[in-house]
Amino acid sequence: MDSVYKAEGGSKAKLRNSLGALKTYPSVPIIVSLIIAFSSFSPYFLTAGNAESILAANSVVMIAAIGMTLVFLTGGIDLSISTVISASAVVAGTVMASTGSIALGSAAAVGVGLGFGLLNGFLIGYCGLTPFITTMGTQLIARGLAFVISQGIAVKGTPYALLDFGFYTLWGIPGVMLICIAILIVSIVGLSQTTWGRELMLFGSSRDSARYTGINTKKIELSVYMISGVLAGIAGMISIANLGNAIPGVGDTLLLIIIGGVVLGGTSMNGGEGSITRTILGVGILAILTNGLNLMGIPFYDQLIIQGILIFVGNGLAMKLSSNKR
Amino acid sequence: MDRFKQTFSSKKWLAIALATLALGIALSLVSTAFLTFSNIQSVLVQASVTAIMAVGMTFIILTGGIDISMGAILFFTSSLFAKIMVETGSYSMAFTAAIGCACLLGAVNGLLVVRFKIIPLITTLATYTMYRGMAIHLTGAQNIPVPREMGFLGNGKLMGIPVPILLLAIVFVLGLYLLNKTRFGLYVKAIGNSEQSARETNLPVNWVTILVYVIGGLTTGIAALILLARVGGLQSGIGIGIEFTVIAAVVLGGTKLSGGSGTIVGSVIGAVFLVLIDNGLNLLNASPYIYDIVKGVVLLAAVIIDKVSFERQAKHLLEQKALRIKSTSGVA
Repeated sequence: MDSVYKAEGGSKAKLRNSLGALKTYPSVPIIVSLIIAFSSFSPYFLTAGNAESILAANSVVMIAAIGMTLVFLTGGIDLSISTVISASAVVAGTVMASTGSIALGSAAAVGVGLGFGLLNGFLIGYCGLTPFITTMGTQLIARGLAFVISQGIAVKGTPYALLDFGFYTLWGIPGVMLICIAILIVSIVGLSQTTWGRELMLFGSSRDSARYTGINTKKIELSVYMISGVLAGIAGMISIANLGNAIPGVGDTLLLIIIGGVVLGGTSMNGGEGSITRTILGVGILAILTNGLNLMGIPFYDQLIIQGILIFVGNGLAMKLSSNKR
Repeated sequence: MDRFKQTFSSKKWLAIALATLALGIALSLVSTAFLTFSNIQSVLVQASVTAIMAVGMTFIILTGGIDISMGAILFFTSSLFAKIMVETGSYSMAFTAAIGCACLLGAVNGLLVVRFKIIPLITTLATYTMYRGMAIHLTGAQNIPVPREMGFLGNGKLMGIPVPILLLAIVFVLGLYLLNKTRFGLYVKAIGNSEQSARETNLPVNWVTILVYVIGGLTTGIAALILLARVGGLQSGIGIGIEFTVIAAVVLGGTKLSGGSGTIVGSVIGAVFLVLIDNGLNLLNASPYIYDIVKGVVLLAAVIIDKVSFERQAKHLLEQKALRIKSTSGVA
């Protein structure tokens, strides 16, 4: 009798555990069903070559989405990510065209990102401005910068070594994705294992209690926007490797996909709720969706409709599940 | 002087009005071409599209919401209008469908915000993507010209006044009336100040919220027709990013993004101010790529100035309070 009771309790607990996992990662069932659906529609979907192209095509968005996730976790938003990608790509492209040095180009890209990140972080953290408006302003400035420097045309003269790197793969994983994975690991560890990460999460869930605990909230906000800027700079560099040229408008269309991916994964814009892992899944859904629908020959405008519905449903699901959890 | 300060702080739109005036004077000193009747008129005509949308956006932001999908609604409405014009040639049908559809798309935004309680930014981001997809689906990404007579709406004149300016005036007056003279306007501000207390006092929060997004859709629909008439036909890039210009105009006009406080006058002047910057840079023969940088800097400067003056005011109030406490305790 006792053992039966125990067994029942055990299975219930197991069920509850798996439900808990579902609540933390509501995008997993969506991904699984998407993969099943697409692989039954197209024989090319589940091939190594296709996986490789998905990974390579989404490294820029993924890296930028990491930065956006960190910003979201503090309850802010960074609208400037997209155009900082363009600005740093253009600056790096120009530097590389005149010096031919990839190292200098990378330094320039990261420098531009860091500059914009510092500006955002200072204005938001230390001056107390609203993130939305502040980053809207820096978004305009970064776009202007990208177009002024490039005069509105793609910057040519990318070193061949960088172009080669765009095609480089290691065990079927594109080189650009390897960089992305490295950043992912660092950010996941940083967020979960360091004091900084825990302070950030507390700050996001309750600003006041973070302040009363003696956390330097200004520094936290500054650091988050700085990181997001630097990541945008790296993403800009990778966009050159992927596309072959530094294109001044490269980031403009990415903003909605970046925010969409983060939100779809279930990270709340109100702060404190979410994780990098969720963002990986969210960006993954959009990536798989785009790729699968392309293979099925669905025109891009119909894909937009599906994306919109999915972003809404995904975020609604995540919010509903996480509110039940409390 | 104190009284002047008080009026100044209570009427935040005066700041942007003064800035616009100052910019206007500066431009007329720099270029003789600026202070001509036709140039002023063209500035207003150019500003009309964003200014009309800014009126709708002001209502939405006053409730503490935001509408990112405005550019997509604008694009969808223009697409529908152009499509119906090409297929049937009936103006009445095209106008009704376009304006009706703009209201409907706004209503969908409002319904989703109210029903699912996902923050408006995300909701309208999702509908932005959807509406844009729907619009291109409708036309198959074609450029469709509109009939020549349609140009009346964009460049025509009625009683010597350009039609876009007339439409802007109508929207502006109606908006002012709705916000300041009706119960609805009061509710809008109440929701923006505290949705919780608005709900607890049994205000029709849901209806007001939906209606606010419908107003956003309606103003976008009107703006879409003006823009379509001025451009002369449907192009695939119409409306991309316009929502950010509109939000910038509203914020420059002194409306708080958190809701509850703001004016329609400010938003409209904000829209004019942004066009004035374009106009000025154009008169100075600046590279068109610098426009964005200047606008970004202006936007940042505006929020910084606003923040600084707010803090100074708060400090002033605190000091006064401390003085009062001191004096009363001295008597006791």
